[in-house]
Amino acid sequence: MALKIVFAAMLALALAGCGGGGADSPQAPPATNLDSAVYSSAADASLPNAVELASVTKHQLVVDGATLNYTAIAGHLTASNPATGAAEASFFYVAYTLDGAAAAQRPVTFFYNGGPGSATVWLHLGSFGPMRLVTGDPSTTAPSPFPLVANAQSLLDVTDMVFVDAVGTGYSEAIAPNTNISFWGVDVDGQVFRDFVMRYVAANHRDASPKYLFGESYGTTRSAVLANLLETAGVELTGVVLQSSILNYNVNCGVVSSNCMGDLPSYSAVGAWYGLDNPNPPPAQLPAFVDQARAFARDQYGPAVAQFLSNRAPPSTALLTGLVNITGESLGNWQARFNMDPGFFQRTLIPGTLIGLYDARVSAPVGSALASEGDPSSTFINASFATGITSYLASLGYTNGSRYVLLGNANARWTYHHDALSLPDVIPDLAAAMTQNPQLRVLSVNGYHDIVTPFYQTEQDLARLGANPNVQTRFYVGGHMTYLDNGSQVLEKADLKQFYTSTAQDR
Amino acid sequence: METRMKLRPLPPLREAIASRRVRLRRAAVALLLLGCLTQVAGAADPPPGVIETPMRDPWVPPSQRQPSTSPPTSGADLRAQVEQKLQAAFDAADVNHTGTLTRAQAKAAGLGFIASHFDDIDTRRSGLIRFDDVRSFLEGRAARARSHN
Repeated sequence: MALKIVFAAMLALALAGCGGGGADSPQAPPATNLDSAVYSSAADASLPNAVELASVTKHQLVVDGATLNYTAIAGHLTASNPATGAAEASFFYVAYTLDGAAAAQRPVTFFYNGGPGSATVWLHLGSFGPMRLVTGDPSTTAPSPFPLVANAQSLLDVTDMVFVDAVGTGYSEAIAPNTNISFWGVDVDGQVFRDFVMRYVAANHRDASPKYLFGESYGTTRSAVLANLLETAGVELTGVVLQSSILNYNVNCGVVSSNCMGDLPSYSAVGAWYGLDNPNPPPAQLPAFVDQARAFARDQYGPAVAQFLSNRAPPSTALLTGLVNITGESLGNWQARFNMDPGFFQRTLIPGTLIGLYDARVSAPVGSALASEGDPSSTFINASFATGITSYLASLGYTNGSRYVLLGNANARWTYHHDALSLPDVIPDLAAAMTQNPQLRVLSVNGYHDIVTPFYQTEQDLARLGANPNVQTRFYVGGHMTYLDNGSQVLEKADLKQFYTSTAQDR
Repeated sequence: METRMKLRPLPPLREAIASRRVRLRRAAVALLLLGCLTQVAGAADPPPGVIETPMRDPWVPPSQRQPSTSPPTSGADLRAQVEQKLQAAFDAADVNHTGTLTRAQAKAAGLGFIASHFDDIDTRRSGLIRFDDVRSFLEGRAARARSHN
């Protein structure tokens, strides 16, 4: 019976996909799409039903001199409530699987961006997939749209990859009676992602495969929640890659008015990039210089900010002088905004210039088009990723007439409440996942010049887990999307390959 | 690059492949889709993706910016939070409020971790486990993992 329903739905979709006119329609059928379903990012939107339709194409990629034959699968899978079996949401995903690999030894990694409200387009087309948009980051001179090229740094040599869009982004949407907003919350989002992962694993017979999560930004919040839910559900993970983390919203001083101590070493790295620090370190000495900034933040700036926030105690002149030297930000600006948030820093570091939040190495004159949206580093890349994604999906045989929403409005309607807090702290979730699975390995990757999820704050957050050899941290020259930088992408790929190789040996 | 397209076989279909009728149906669908493909090739460029809101990640609406006033947890406080989380999942599965779970109850509630380790957790071999049993099992595993590292 179930088979008949699936068949009927597929047939209906196939017919609708052919224009809906039927075989005996006299007119030439209009250009049509593989998937004729209409997807929406609206909070109250839902699909009447969903079909697990996908396009399957064969490709080749050369990585490290080896030719890899792989299959790209682009389409939808349905996440269902594990207790009731009721359909929850139709997830759009693109999977890349190495041909001829034994599933039990071949890792599979689930990638997602964050927002919340962002489709997984930045990781998909910018990082370690088989094809990559070359942005030239941090330069803004490359003509757009950026070229889409074979990605010599793809992770395809070590893992299969599944890039999946959150509900209400890309072509992913809730299934009635749910609506998109049914899954717009820290907990419900984690649950529906769990149900997608379990569906993917079952549909593709990947129970025995080593499984990894790779989230970015809010995607790291999701990864902590999801890792715990998957372990509880009996889906054992091998590794979690945290790309530019926000693990505790309560201490991110770009989001709330908390102590900005965690941002100071990032400001130091940015000052060094622009040659403003005193003394200004040569690039090769950036890690050692940043170490000094960590110590300054921990021992001097952080405690002084805590005093300032509790009783407005003014900082000493010596401390202010130290801040000027170690960041390149002016004395007047440190006096005006002693607990300095990244939004202030990006506007004031260089008079007349707006520097990026996501990649503070990117800059644009105030009043220019690149500065007009408040962050030149994202404005520079947005349009190329928007045109790039749908034409790329068409090249994989997946076409749809709906709008593919890269950045939707979910974050304005999101339920951030988690556990007993109004804003999520997911370190307990990560700890719960690692308690259920003591072999679980975590790799935290960070950009020195990212001032939205500052690396030193992430180090502080992960330190709460206690000394644990299963948690490793890496740093790269670059912003939030470290992989956009051609040099850092090579270094990050090498570290990721080492992470996958070493975790595979542990199994 | 090969651009052939086909319907991805769904697992339930794959399992039922012995059925000749199903095979015929799949052939019919494939033919229908092949008919579509010739049209897809001639389709115009797809509409570009849409950006409805600026990149804001992480971001919280101003009305929801209510950070915790307590310092972040670690050590024993963090371990207590972990235990609360695990116990909450256990209690939610214990629909009869007996303080115990059977393997079937754990499985029905989606507690695959407990269901798959049930025999190791159920040291009394009673068929019923308490949350204390889960805690003992986890502590034992953690100790073994530490000795491996």
